[in-house]
Amino acid sequence: MDHPKMILVALAMVMFTSTNTRAGDIKIIANPALKADTISVRELQGIFLGEKTSLEGMHVEPVFEKGGRAHESFLRQYLGRSSDDLQKYYLALQFSGRGTMPTTVASDAEVVAFVAGTRGAIGYVSAGTSTEGVKILTVAVSFGNNERKLLTRVDPIYPEELYKRSIGGTVRLKVIIAPNGSVEHAELLGGNPVLGDAAIVAVQKWKYAPASSRTVTEITIPFDPNR
Amino acid sequence: MRRQILLTAFLLLHGIRPLLHAQEFKLFDRVVQVHGWLSQGFVYTDENNWLTMNTSSGSGAMTDMGLNFSTRITDHLRLGAQFYDRNLGQLGQWHPSLDWALADYRLHSWLGIRAGKVKTVLGLFNDTQDQDFLYTFALLPQGVYPTDLREATIAHLGADIYGRIPLKSSANLAYTVFAGHRHDSIHSGYPYLISQYGAVFKSLGGLQYGADLRCQMPAKGPLLGISRLNEDTSGKGTATDPITTDGTFPYSEYSRANWTNQFYGEYVIGRLRLDSEYRRYLRDQMIYSGTTENITDVRAWYVSGGYTLTRNLRLGSYYSHYTLRNEVKGALAPYFPGKTDTSLPTNHIYDKVLTLCFDLKKFWNVKLEAHFINGYAFVSYPDGFYPQENPNGFKPNTNALVVRTGFYF
Repeated sequence: MDHPKMILVALAMVMFTSTNTRAGDIKIIANPALKADTISVRELQGIFLGEKTSLEGMHVEPVFEKGGRAHESFLRQYLGRSSDDLQKYYLALQFSGRGTMPTTVASDAEVVAFVAGTRGAIGYVSAGTSTEGVKILTVAVSFGNNERKLLTRVDPIYPEELYKRSIGGTVRLKVIIAPNGSVEHAELLGGNPVLGDAAIVAVQKWKYAPASSRTVTEITIPFDPNR
Repeated sequence: MRRQILLTAFLLLHGIRPLLHAQEFKLFDRVVQVHGWLSQGFVYTDENNWLTMNTSSGSGAMTDMGLNFSTRITDHLRLGAQFYDRNLGQLGQWHPSLDWALADYRLHSWLGIRAGKVKTVLGLFNDTQDQDFLYTFALLPQGVYPTDLREATIAHLGADIYGRIPLKSSANLAYTVFAGHRHDSIHSGYPYLISQYGAVFKSLGGLQYGADLRCQMPAKGPLLGISRLNEDTSGKGTATDPITTDGTFPYSEYSRANWTNQFYGEYVIGRLRLDSEYRRYLRDQMIYSGTTENITDVRAWYVSGGYTLTRNLRLGSYYSHYTLRNEVKGALAPYFPGKTDTSLPTNHIYDKVLTLCFDLKKFWNVKLEAHFINGYAFVSYPDGFYPQENPNGFKPNTNALVVRTGFYF
């Protein structure tokens, strides 16, 4: 390996281990039967609050972790409520007959096992968790009131050196979508910069549904070296 | 009665303990979830007796409990039922009831149907008012959620159509439309109030239909809503002549009008939670077998705030404002002069409340709540203060201490 490459890999490793980004500490996983590759924050909230029951025509079933870092991080990032608040929310549904308590398991590994074995299941795990048998969903965060539907998605090419060294993670991008649906601008907000560059190259080829105005979106893209 | 209470307590204490660790079981290869709660309150007042209890001497006659079972049959179909029992002074009297029992078929996020005995959606808390563990307060604002009248709005035997429609903004519009038959317990506030006049109900209830519409953010954030409830209350029983108290005769009553409008809002920011609701309730009832018309116009609102001080300690406060106008026409009109001046203590209840809620364990809390009440609103419709427990008349001000503890699983 030449020096520049070694420096690049070393830098990437340092960045990977030192970056504790908002979206980088967990990943959203789904049963492979689920057609969707991308999920909006609004869809995530709807599913995990028991309000949304299907995604792209398939019934979805959320699975929670009982506690732990991934659980707290997920609640803080996507549901905006504490574990106690969430429990009370579901208890209100349960005791009024409007719903039932969701499936809850003890660990990341159990979430992966449940999601892998349950059609339509969707969960969250720590970024470093092995996710064999499940798919990882990209989370798109929209700013303002316009949520744009993704029409064409191009998967990023995994940087070879990082893949060989099993370096993965999740990168967070800010994306500006033009009214015609093309990606006008993409920049890295958090995560490994080498993975970020690969993600930006791919995202610039994405195509969204046209809209009357420009939209700013935040997306997270996972890179899993185990897949 | 005492044996029944002891037996219930024994079953709960010994039945719930293992369930705290095993909240589900399998039946015909389906997972059945089991959840329940038990709460016990103690109330002391310095003046008027409250909520049909002898509270001026201190009363612990405030117990309620429930147990529910639910299971999912398919991705779209869910079945469940909840049993409920309570004793609140002279109300409830340990007569268990089926709180709700329903089949819930959810076709889409925007369309579902619940059928059976269904809790009535009305305002923020009508369908969850019994689960005090969900709230900071030991008693919800009584002007809008009078616990002695819970049966008048709590559930209906019928169906709800409900759904959630995403709006262009990030908000959702949730709707519920419902219709059914309501069965009021004869051990509830209204039958107890009019029993002082010699009327004893054998049946009480009627049609209930309405709708609820609320606009809410998916996660924490502002929520605004409106509910409308139409009811018919027909009752049959026996009565003694209210004037001569001589002999009994068949008694009946029915509604000419009975509706509730409720507007509400909720906002949660960080550790702070704010709620406010306004309820107007109009009841035009033909009583004493159609000889007398009793028109009651209740207007109530509250503002409440709750703040989480530490992981185990919450502080709450609310102001509940309740006014009541009453007009009686017909045979009994001379004995019940109209009440229109809501500034008088006999026509209003203003309640200032301060609460501390301690979470002793994750599933067990204790609440200390102080009420500073002005007024007693004594008319021919109940509101917490009953003449049976206050035979020497009412005082204008009452301070109350409520201690309530409960656990759930």
